[in-house]
Amino acid sequence: MKHFTKLAFAGVLAALTAGAAQAQELYTPNLAYRTGPFAATGIPLMNGQADYMAMLNARDGGIGGVMVNAEECETGYSTEKGVECYEKTKGKAIVTQPWSTGITLQVLPKTNVDMIPILASGYGFSPMMDGKVFQWAYNTPAGYWDAADMIIQYLEGMESLDGKTIAFLHLDHPFGKEPLPVLEALAEEKGFTLNPIPVGLKEMQNQSAQWLQIRRMRPDYVVMWGWGAMNAGAITEAVKTKFPMENMLGVWWSGHDADLAIVGEAGKGYKSISWSFPNLDAPVMADIQKHVIDAGLSKTDETEMKGVFYSRGIIISAILAEGIRVAQAEYGVAEINAEQLRWGLENINMTEARIDELGLTGMVPPFATSCSNHTGHSGGWMLEWDGEKFVKVSDHLTANVAAYTELAQKNAKDYADANAPWPVAEGCEG
Amino acid sequence: MLYRTAGQYKTSYEADQALFPVRQDAVLLGIILLFVWVIFPLTASEFTFQTLLIPILIYSLAALGLNILTGYAGQLSLGTAAFMGVGAYACYKMITIMPWMNPIVAILLSGFFSAGVGVMFGIPSLRIKGFYLAIATLAAQFFLVWLFEKWAWLYNYNASGAIQVPNLDIFGLYVSGPQADSIVQYYVVLFIVSLLTWLCINLTRGTLGRTWKATRDMDIAAELIGINLMRSKLTAFAISSYVVGVAGALFVFMWRGAAEPNLFDIPLSFRILFIAIIGGLGSIMGNYLGAILIVGLPVVLNLLPETLGIPISSSMVEHLNIMIVGSLIVFFLIVEPHGLAQLWRLLREKLILWPFPY
Repeated sequence: MKHFTKLAFAGVLAALTAGAAQAQELYTPNLAYRTGPFAATGIPLMNGQADYMAMLNARDGGIGGVMVNAEECETGYSTEKGVECYEKTKGKAIVTQPWSTGITLQVLPKTNVDMIPILASGYGFSPMMDGKVFQWAYNTPAGYWDAADMIIQYLEGMESLDGKTIAFLHLDHPFGKEPLPVLEALAEEKGFTLNPIPVGLKEMQNQSAQWLQIRRMRPDYVVMWGWGAMNAGAITEAVKTKFPMENMLGVWWSGHDADLAIVGEAGKGYKSISWSFPNLDAPVMADIQKHVIDAGLSKTDETEMKGVFYSRGIIISAILAEGIRVAQAEYGVAEINAEQLRWGLENINMTEARIDELGLTGMVPPFATSCSNHTGHSGGWMLEWDGEKFVKVSDHLTANVAAYTELAQKNAKDYADANAPWPVAEGCEG
Repeated sequence: MLYRTAGQYKTSYEADQALFPVRQDAVLLGIILLFVWVIFPLTASEFTFQTLLIPILIYSLAALGLNILTGYAGQLSLGTAAFMGVGAYACYKMITIMPWMNPIVAILLSGFFSAGVGVMFGIPSLRIKGFYLAIATLAAQFFLVWLFEKWAWLYNYNASGAIQVPNLDIFGLYVSGPQADSIVQYYVVLFIVSLLTWLCINLTRGTLGRTWKATRDMDIAAELIGINLMRSKLTAFAISSYVVGVAGALFVFMWRGAAEPNLFDIPLSFRILFIAIIGGLGSIMGNYLGAILIVGLPVVLNLLPETLGIPISSSMVEHLNIMIVGSLIVFFLIVEPHGLAQLWRLLREKLILWPFPY
């Protein structure tokens, strides 16, 4: 009985918290993961996101005069906790930042009902680029299919891929399988052989079997779609088996400084495509240093601040802040709601000039979203590990989006059909 | 006082054998049923439904299934999550092949698939016992999760390898998928959980339950008094897997809405085993108490600092939470190794004597 009263108590408690009144603020919760198996990669991202918002609050008094409440809800990367956080925050949230493919999968179908935009910068379901179908979902500024296309483009820029072999080392998980359709289409078009090598979630730290296979296969390149412990596992294994590091490339989530720092000099030449770059001379970094770090509002440290992931966190928050600003300007209210932010996010125009104005010079390529294009396709840069840090080794690359727009639309339509009734934005042009 | 049994005379064997020999127990159950069927649904918020009520019920059901096998029939199993997965995938396939099917019927039918698979993996139990059987069920765990990953037909060749629950309705009322209301889902879950609990209470008190208990306590002795061990063990596997399979279908269709194969991996099996052990093996009520402790308590603890206005970061709360729940598990197991159900049983006995213990 004691426990049933506890349950009843919990019910009352939850009802109370859900109904609590709030002061004027922009509530942009973040489903953070500072604990659990992926915490090492989560912490710099979360710090970057939190610090940028804290900087806006300290420097400008929020956005448009309203303070941002970028509260974190800890998920530990667990889907179950993620759903708990989503339910907890959705009452007053104007955006959801789910942060894991599993949580994204869970909340994506609910967005049409709950009417809260999802901001999944650089992750999630690639067909989300079709804004007509996925009215509430944004993977701005680039999706996994963009990444796959840009990596192949970069390789082709060096030599013809005809007759080459590419091993595709990926996490055996929705995230890792995501770029396969585009890579397969490219393999057919460019004439290279694609050999997918899955790494099970349990094998992330011990990839000797996979690397044995790679050694036997002797691929010209290894393209890696890894996350968390898998990256460090693959990189150390590659060094151990003496795979030429300059022929190994990863997606943006496989470019974490700490993973490469383990091998240091030996990791020289490893590349990762990225839509964000840690430009330490950008004005925004100085502002964060002044208003957040020196004021003692941050949890970050100096080494972490120089990393790719910290700056990526900044960019994600900057995209969200820009969406809020656009919505505020359009609707003439400072305290916008979720629906208005949805419009804001699909009308972002990050021109070169705007990026400079925001102090993000050189940290993100220019992009623009529209009602039918929720990704923005910013393109990115190829970053290379020089033994100590990541440096840009390519010009601004842009994905050949036209090649898979049709595929994205087809997959988006399949998704909508499977989840009928699914409202589609019919009047959406361009 | 509260539990005064004076004046409650049993005048027939039937009355003595009744489920509730003490009237107060029946009243208590009535109150609990009133809460779960009427008061909670009327007062609960969306958050309470989605993070407390629905998951606690579903986890309780899964633990109940495991308890039949481990607690009543004494066969240790580590493959619960995989059998849940069989139920979930079976339900998904039935719903996608026959979209006209009533979702509740589909959920109840999907249990039969996991029952079949459960019996198949239960066959080794005729020869091996204890830890060795646990290893055999562990094989089921690994094999089935691997199958969910590799057999693309199971997830309809979806590129991401995950299953998504479509919007399903019964007479125009959505019961699953994103369009469904939480309260509808809660009632569906509650209905199925109540039905299966009622069924299990009756089964465990009847001939079958007694055969299971005899098998658990000493299988050689059971065989000598004429119990067919094969029948006893395989029925335990079948019924346990049926209940677990239905719990799995509910888990995905009424709560999660989407599932990846690794959801049904070993951590989920352990979680359910913990619920069954901490709640109390060989008890029906224990599953509910265990689920409240393991599933419900962390959610409540997560809310506390915010409600009390303590400024503490979310990740810190999570760390504290893991520590508190972990130490509570240790505490309860030291205080009462037979689980929360036994704790309640002792408390009840004390209450019957109170305030004049002899």
